[in-house]
Amino acid sequence: MLPFRFHLLDGLPVSDQLVKAVQRAVLTGEMASGERFPSVRVIAQELKISPTTAHKAVLELRDAGFLATRPGAGMVVVKPAGSSREQLLSQLAPACRDLIRQASLLGLSQAETLEALRRTYSEQP
Amino acid sequence: MNSLLEFQQVNRRFGRSKALKDASFRVPAGSITALLGPNGAGKSTALKIALNLLRPSSGTVRVLGTDSRKLGPAELARIGYVADGMELPEWMTVAQFLGWCRPLYPKWDVDLERALCKQFALPADRKLRQLSRGQKMKAALASVLSYRPELLVLDEPFSGLDPLVRDEFIAGLLELAGSEGFSVVLSSHDIEEVDRLADHVVMLNNGEVIIDESTEDLLARHRRVEVVLPEHFGDLPALPATWIGAESSGRVLRFADIAHEPASFNEQAARIFPGCPPPDVQRYSLRELFVTLVRAGKADAGV
Repeated sequence: MLPFRFHLLDGLPVSDQLVKAVQRAVLTGEMASGERFPSVRVIAQELKISPTTAHKAVLELRDAGFLATRPGAGMVVVKPAGSSREQLLSQLAPACRDLIRQASLLGLSQAETLEALRRTYSEQP
Repeated sequence: MNSLLEFQQVNRRFGRSKALKDASFRVPAGSITALLGPNGAGKSTALKIALNLLRPSSGTVRVLGTDSRKLGPAELARIGYVADGMELPEWMTVAQFLGWCRPLYPKWDVDLERALCKQFALPADRKLRQLSRGQKMKAALASVLSYRPELLVLDEPFSGLDPLVRDEFIAGLLELAGSEGFSVVLSSHDIEEVDRLADHVVMLNNGEVIIDESTEDLLARHRRVEVVLPEHFGDLPALPATWIGAESSGRVLRFADIAHEPASFNEQAARIFPGCPPPDVQRYSLRELFVTLVRAGKADAGV
């Protein structure tokens, strides 16, 4: 089992989904700084995805400062410097884009879309 | 990128019928390549030619740098082949079978053999004939993974396997994947099985290669588009050549954009469908894309 919550969805690149899931897990503290990150082979086997895809995601996470190479231990989790609020907000961007797309298909304006969002918020228990 | 397997304009005839027509495609080093196509598309023929079990009628296949017609024991010891329904020495036990294979391969890894037998829960003293289909396929896979082949060729490896066994099988072959240069080519008529496993896709239809591309690039450039036309739109204008397989029902027009680029798409859509709400543009799953391409009958969709 992998040490972060992850559920693959159709229609989005697998490596992007993996990167987002790990970023979320690090930002929310689900995975702690210094924790050992699973190897490419383990990720591929767990998710039944190609190692190339898993490798690509790992490199992207390393370049974005979420993983670091530790000699002898493979990759470890790093909580990147900078505003986590900013990074958490950017996690929502794909869902927001989807909402905007849905709204435009319905012919709704920005104000109406925000109104729908507010309404749904107020209906939350 | 280097290719471990490369088809160059390969034709193969059986009597009057053509199983492969000018087929060119490659299996990049380090990739898991899916060879997809409906039954009878030429997948098994292609894999048999790659292993010199069949000869091409014309064209060349290079395997590990060697012409497929000149593959000898030295090259074959670097290739693993497992096919659905392949003949195995049914009278042997699992242990006898692996012991029989072992001396044939200088690079046989006994530790890996043991690990695979454990991972696959193979009963060492059962005869192959007494094994279920899934167990037989796992025994066959263990017998080829154990010599750490550089190229693994799997012909319909998942057909008839239940989902649990299929997952074990995939985890087993991924045991080697990721090690330097190890490449897999596997054929399947069921795309769902290989959707996420494959990072390179070759699609065959009627013996012709219609796609030979990385999964990522392939999915990145295709979009399913739906447009709602105004009530009295009249005749459809001519669509760009990269918008294929157009069909309509009521006011909805649907087509596939096979070279999607958001900016130019929006510009073209606004010009061709004036006064329409913005089109609904969605990515395809590999499965939907395959069905769409075959249906659109675009032999040149990959160009």
